Amino acid sequence: MILDLHAHSIKSDDGRAKVQNYCQWIRTRKIPIDGFVLTEHRQFDFESDYSALAAEFGVVILKGSEVETEYGHVLVFGVNESFTEAFDMASIRLPLRDVIQTADRAGGIAVPCHPGRPRVGMAAHIGTYGIPEGVRIVETFNGGSRENEDAIAQQMAREHGYRGIGGSDAHIVSHIGRCATRFNTAIHNEQELVAALKSGEFEAITFKEQAA
Amino acid sequence: MTRQDTEHNIEEADIQAARNQFMNVVYDEKTFSFTADQFAEFSRACGETAPRYTDPTHPEFQAPPTFPTSLHPNKRMPDGYPRFNGLGMDAGKAVAPIRPIRAGETITARTHVHDIYSKSGRSGRMVFSLIRMELFDHQETLLATADTSIVIREKPAS
Repeated sequence: MILDLHAHSIKSDDGRAKVQNYCQWIRTRKIPIDGFVLTEHRQFDFESDYSALAAEFGVVILKGSEVETEYGHVLVFGVNESFTEAFDMASIRLPLRDVIQTADRAGGIAVPCHPGRPRVGMAAHIGTYGIPEGVRIVETFNGGSRENEDAIAQQMAREHGYRGIGGSDAHIVSHIGRCATRFNTAIHNEQELVAALKSGEFEAITFKEQAA
Repeated sequence: MTRQDTEHNIEEADIQAARNQFMNVVYDEKTFSFTADQFAEFSRACGETAPRYTDPTHPEFQAPPTFPTSLHPNKRMPDGYPRFNGLGMDAGKAVAPIRPIRAGETITARTHVHDIYSKSGRSGRMVFSLIRMELFDHQETLLATADTSIVIREKPAS
């Protein structure tokens, strides 16, 4: 099963894509993914129910968050109220250690994204803050990466023994599925996604060259 | 208060203080009245072809939905609003049409700061101010809202 683990809809302030349009694009353009995770910026979208869209298009639609820490941006999967109540989700300076630990306690998992990116990636802050504790997975393929940002992420993963995921970081419809993560098991909900990530049985993949 | 007094690097506390002081407080009120020709001209300039927006003789003639984005308050920002140190840019507009705006009607526009928030991106930290203008008819019925987002990209510390 292949899921794009990093996408934004119009629920994010800079998102320009409606979820329905992502679904239509995946089906009409035969994008080779089975679903995607909406990781809206600095929030968790408790309100939206995409189950009807998921059923109509045969696409798995899950929800997570992208929060901001002193080490840059971090995806959180398996977000629930015990996680959101622990933080001001809108803050751009959440402590990464707390995000990782709180996500774990809440039954989720935190994954630094685009770690090779200037300013908002983990690599840019290791010199200042040191190697963060508790990181197990980083995003090694990001659809919005420029130049050598993914290479930096992959090098970091090799050096520190992190597993790698892929996500498009799509903000517009045509970018969905540019990068993704292949799992060995079927995933239908956020809990199964977290379990699959914690199992380590997955690999990051990219379709960027096909999309170009 | 001089510009130098209020222009400085952006701290989260500054943003929170600005939220507490300025959000949801109307700082500007202005009245407008528009002719049918103004609506029709705006519509044609936008490439609109629907007669209810381009033909003043149409029984449902009204302002096109995006018309409120062309309106400006007397004051762009509230008095005393902090001048964050950085590069300012327009970050987009959004309009929510609620009821038709008719030619000849007196429209009252009230403007407030609807949100202030920060985010970090590839180019650094940014602070967004979302300015909302609400348009009312003479019965105080809300006709539309027009949002303007202004972003300040923080100047790196030297």
